[in-house]
Amino acid sequence: MTVMDRSEWYDIARDTNWSPSFVREQEMFPPQMTGGFGLAREKWVGYDEPYKTSYPEYVRIQREKDAAAYSVKAALERNKLFETADAGWLSILKQHYGAIALGEYAAMSAEARMARFGLASGMRNMATFGMMDENRHTQLQLYFPHEHCNKDRQFDWAHKAYHTNEWAAIAARHTFDDLFLSRDATSIAVMLTFAFETGFTNMQFLGLAADAAEVGDYTFSSLISSIQTDESRHAQIGGPALQILVESGKKEEAEKLVYIGIARAWRLFSVLTGPAMDYYTPLSHRKQSFKEFMLEWIVGQFERSLIELGLDLPWYWEKMIAEFEYQHHAYHLGVWFWRPTVWWNPAAGMSPDDRDWLEEKYPGWNDTFGKCWDVIIDNVLAGRHEKTLPETLPIVCNMSQLPICAIPGNGWNVKDYPKEFEGRTYHFNSEIDRWIFETDPARYRGHMTIVDRLLAGHIQPPDLSGALKYMNLSPGECGDDAHKFAWAEAYRANPYAKKAA
Amino acid sequence: MANTVEILKPQKTWSHLAGRRKRPSEYEIVSTNLHFSTDNPDAPFELDPDFDMARWFKQYRNSSPITHPDWNSFRDPDEIVYRTYNLLQDGQETYVFGLFSQFADRGHDAMLSADWVATLAKVYSPCRYLFHGMQMMSAYLCQMAPASTISNCATYQTADSLRWLTHTAYRTKELSKSFPDLGLGSDERNVWESDPQWQGLRELVERALVVWDWAECFIVLNLVLKPIAEECTIHALGEAARRNNDTLLGLLADAQMADAARHRRWAIALARMAVEQPGNREQFARVIETWGTLAGGAADVYCMGLPDADRASVRAKRVLRELHVACGL
Repeated sequence: MTVMDRSEWYDIARDTNWSPSFVREQEMFPPQMTGGFGLAREKWVGYDEPYKTSYPEYVRIQREKDAAAYSVKAALERNKLFETADAGWLSILKQHYGAIALGEYAAMSAEARMARFGLASGMRNMATFGMMDENRHTQLQLYFPHEHCNKDRQFDWAHKAYHTNEWAAIAARHTFDDLFLSRDATSIAVMLTFAFETGFTNMQFLGLAADAAEVGDYTFSSLISSIQTDESRHAQIGGPALQILVESGKKEEAEKLVYIGIARAWRLFSVLTGPAMDYYTPLSHRKQSFKEFMLEWIVGQFERSLIELGLDLPWYWEKMIAEFEYQHHAYHLGVWFWRPTVWWNPAAGMSPDDRDWLEEKYPGWNDTFGKCWDVIIDNVLAGRHEKTLPETLPIVCNMSQLPICAIPGNGWNVKDYPKEFEGRTYHFNSEIDRWIFETDPARYRGHMTIVDRLLAGHIQPPDLSGALKYMNLSPGECGDDAHKFAWAEAYRANPYAKKAA
Repeated sequence: MANTVEILKPQKTWSHLAGRRKRPSEYEIVSTNLHFSTDNPDAPFELDPDFDMARWFKQYRNSSPITHPDWNSFRDPDEIVYRTYNLLQDGQETYVFGLFSQFADRGHDAMLSADWVATLAKVYSPCRYLFHGMQMMSAYLCQMAPASTISNCATYQTADSLRWLTHTAYRTKELSKSFPDLGLGSDERNVWESDPQWQGLRELVERALVVWDWAECFIVLNLVLKPIAEECTIHALGEAARRNNDTLLGLLADAQMADAARHRRWAIALARMAVEQPGNREQFARVIETWGTLAGGAADVYCMGLPDADRASVRAKRVLRELHVACGL
């Protein structure tokens, strides 16, 4: 075979910029779609994607990867995972697919924005592969859960969730629309590929792949490991873009985008991945706590990549790290309590052994969150199930679209961070959420949270039944305790006693 | 009587596909109804309904003069999914790179005449700008189309455009080794920007790149620009190549035209579905007429510079007309 090495012709394939003369440059690359803080296109000539691939290599490698992922699925089709897996694990699968599959499709549109409006031709080519990758991730994460549709109606939500006004779907849309779907090409490179994919999808995909292998779900494990190999390639679109912004005197502007990206991703992960890792995954299969994972991947590895690019740490870094201790516990408590409003069955994760583990990983847990669970346990044991269920909706943050919540019990620190803007009062979960709003109020001001909609009369009747209807959740879909409260029986004879420190 | 609440039962497929008697194909399971920014016409994003990007989508997608009550009912006639796309194109690339290898082993380029290669430096190697223009426009269509089944076709079309660009870059480099003094790999931008032969196509590309309405973008790209440009710069050039002892370029053109034919199949299917709706036929005709003159002129000047390609431009324009007839126009 006499075939030239890619390095011989690669530069020609990415030498595709020209100076238009039939239309103005600004028309062909309108600032609204390109972004880049007014940097001239010449500044982008030095853009050099660190991971290089080409069309023939792409289609070959991706064909091989698909063959592997689909053959694992086919080989394990007859295994009884669905019947034998812990109910908490099935909840993780339902939650993951519903929150991720169509979000990946939105990421395809965002990659397409970079492929059209990216200011560097190398970025446009890499984003073309990125479009293809996200197309793949959508299709895999629809095809795999589809086989479970005929066993469990909640799996329908792998496709349905994003088309509803279910609160977690609203939160996911608000986050992903803001992180990438409604951003310009330069901001997408920074926020989607750098802030989100370099930092957070690693955690969702590598962390979950490890958990899946632990519980014996090899289909899911191989699926998401395979997805992660694509992510780690196209995530590298953002680094060189940041480099150019920093070198051209746009460090502060670029940092702001990174900070918004991290803050938004952190919030969504703390409601989805936090409970999955610390509560839904059966205790015997938990390798790391969510906090440990965040400290290793976000604070350890991602912090290093920020510094390598010459960026400062976000102003809120210490505040966010402090939230690792409690925010996801608060969300878990809320999700479990409001369980009819989700499309999966939240696992309480509340056996005495679970509590010991939580206390060990999060010292003080029993005196704070544990106190709420004590009341829930009393009500469950006394058969007062109605007291473990909500009647209406909680106050929701105007940024994250998640309940405003923090530490209950002895460490009480719940606080609203309000903001008056153009005659309307907005409510935020933290200074960080409020800061995001302040960076660009025009992006957010006209949006209504689900509670705003309730108060405006969009939800009728204005109670839980009306809310469920509004969220398109019916009996057969609504969540309930994953283990049908079996875990509570352990406390009937032996009330929980904290292990001596 | 007890108040009975219906409990939803599991179904064989997604609820949005479950009402039909037909078992859904893999294509339908993974390709249909995936855009959620189309759900609320007043607010494309779960953000302020009127910030700049929301207005862009409301204007250029939601308010297109070309309308359909259910764009999501569109189906790609080839039912391509990601998995089958890679199977298909990996096979195609193995074939094309096999050609490159075999012809290189036979010393193909050294046997070409210097005149012909000088022609290629004018009419062939600058194609990478044209193909990149198609790549960018297809990516725009992908992000603006109101149905995922349309966006997916545009995604694969974006990748195919990069495929053609890659072949061109590869051959440009390879030819430059046998003919180092013809500006191969260095003069293309200049030729693309200034050579009279390219100015018609460049004007078409630049003007098409700023068509923001999604449906008009589709018509201009898939029913005018791509077919006319493909007929001239791939098909007619491939024919001319064969007459100039350049069998390799002729075979490469055939391989690329297989992609072009697939693009036309989905474009015809979408156009036929659209023109069934009252008012759309007139809109299609208006856009095609507006752009047809520019496209015809571009074909004329490009083909004039092709050696041994009599009536290539006439043929290209005929193919374009036949395509429009196939669309029901």
